[in-house]
Amino acid sequence: MKITRKKAGTVITVLILLVISSVYIVPILMMVLGSFKTQGEALHMDLTLPSSLQIENYQHVIETGGILRGYTNSLIITVSAVAIIIISGSMTGIIISRRGDRKGRGLYYYFVFGLTATMQIVTTYALILKLNLYGTYISVIFVLAAINLPFAVITFSSYVKGIPREIDEAAIMDGCNCFQLIFRVLLPIMKPITITNLIIAAIGIWNNFQVPLYLMSSSARTTIPMMIFNFYGLYSRDWNYVFAALVITVLPVVILYLCLQKYIVEGMTSGAVKG
Amino acid sequence: MVIINKKQLAKIYPMWLGLPAGLVYTVFFIVPIVTALFYSFTDWNMDRFDSPKFVGMANIVNLFQDEIFLRSLWNTVLFAFSTTILKTAAGLLLALLVVKKFRGNSIFRTLFYLPCVLSCMIVGLLFTGILKQDGLINNFLTAIGQADLARDWLGSYGTAMLWIIIIEVWMWAGFTMFLFISGLQAISREYYESAEIDGASSWKKFTKITLPLLAPSFTVVITFNITGGLKVFDLVYSLTGGGPGFDTQVLSTYTYRAFGMGLLGKSSASALILSVFIVGVTFLLNKFLRSREVDV
Repeated sequence: MKITRKKAGTVITVLILLVISSVYIVPILMMVLGSFKTQGEALHMDLTLPSSLQIENYQHVIETGGILRGYTNSLIITVSAVAIIIISGSMTGIIISRRGDRKGRGLYYYFVFGLTATMQIVTTYALILKLNLYGTYISVIFVLAAINLPFAVITFSSYVKGIPREIDEAAIMDGCNCFQLIFRVLLPIMKPITITNLIIAAIGIWNNFQVPLYLMSSSARTTIPMMIFNFYGLYSRDWNYVFAALVITVLPVVILYLCLQKYIVEGMTSGAVKG
Repeated sequence: MVIINKKQLAKIYPMWLGLPAGLVYTVFFIVPIVTALFYSFTDWNMDRFDSPKFVGMANIVNLFQDEIFLRSLWNTVLFAFSTTILKTAAGLLLALLVVKKFRGNSIFRTLFYLPCVLSCMIVGLLFTGILKQDGLINNFLTAIGQADLARDWLGSYGTAMLWIIIIEVWMWAGFTMFLFISGLQAISREYYESAEIDGASSWKKFTKITLPLLAPSFTVVITFNITGGLKVFDLVYSLTGGGPGFDTQVLSTYTYRAFGMGLLGKSSASALILSVFIVGVTFLLNKFLRSREVDV
């Protein structure tokens, strides 16, 4: 009796979940189907199968849309910014937590301020203009790194607190200098928090739209969300192309998400808890 | 072991290791904030980029007399609070459904979380296809014989804001779900077992055990969603651009609009007001929510 009630409960749960799932699946299905349709078919949004597979849509998007260009740009910006965040952030986190003196604490609170403050995009734009960096990779890389640094520094420093000092002492006794201590001894121990920071920063930067919009709007160096937006501006009547462009943009992210799901979900949620 | 004295400390962990991060953070984050504090009180604009004049509170007074700004302020608050309530409710519901043990529950978790890794720009374009005049929703309504309900959802007053709110909830409900799942898993089974012995109903168990013990999760979920909601930009920009009229204008898009018109002082002031607003709301919320958490 009890078991059958439990089973019935599970069936109802799954049914409710299936209904909710359709809300997530329908937009994705519409996009994928639409990307294979002709222009006329795609303009009429529905979930019918395409009459014939228009692979040319993809060909057209890849040849004209600058999507691949956007990929390269996004990759350059994300990898550089994340590298700055992880390397400089971990060094700072380590000295803050290991020194424990007034200078260290001062630096800590200096970065804590950055967690509550919001960035001022207009004066950032003016600064970039003054530094003659408008429209360059460097401007976007440094600004996005700066936004993400406070969180990285704070989480790194609180993680290092949990690592026994004896490890440092042993390394120093064995003749490590400070760089060897940080990059060969401590950073490998800090792997969990490094992965968390890596994921939060990478996803945030990859998807960021506001900073490239202000700092490099229509330049050829701009990132993939901006490229997609400009592409839509040009092809807003050709939904077959828009859908194909969206699929090309989404696919690698989704594949990466499915492979690294455990890390991504853990990283992003623990980011919210600590932030 | 060796006792590290101050001199050794400075040698092993020299302050200059903090220099790269400190420099990047100072130049590209702190300097803009400090200068914004100054420029917000000037008539700074594109024509007089290098010689702004001090105008005191004029920008801020002007903003609060500007109907579009007040409208943006109201829209921002409306958006932040309604999406927070809906995301919390939807996230809790999803968490309660998928936290149960059955085969395939991880597939649902994966699916509900998927939109969180996508760019708002992509989600915005996808939903433009669904909501436009000849989009998916209107075609569906026509197909089931309700053609008179069809409208330009993003182009009509009222419905545009409603849909931006719905789409934001669609995107982030899965994220809230995971925050609640970890909260739910932290609740000891023993509470439920002793409640069952006392013959408590499921509803009683939910309101007397689950909800109070989830208070820390609620604190995280609500603070995170409110601050995120107040900063909203991408989704509004990609779906409506603030239109129709100024119907869906929020503070961040207002700032961008003033920026686009070259009114840098006014734009800075508007961004500054948003920042002050966010700090204030976060502070009050934290105070209120922390006081409601129970110690176990």
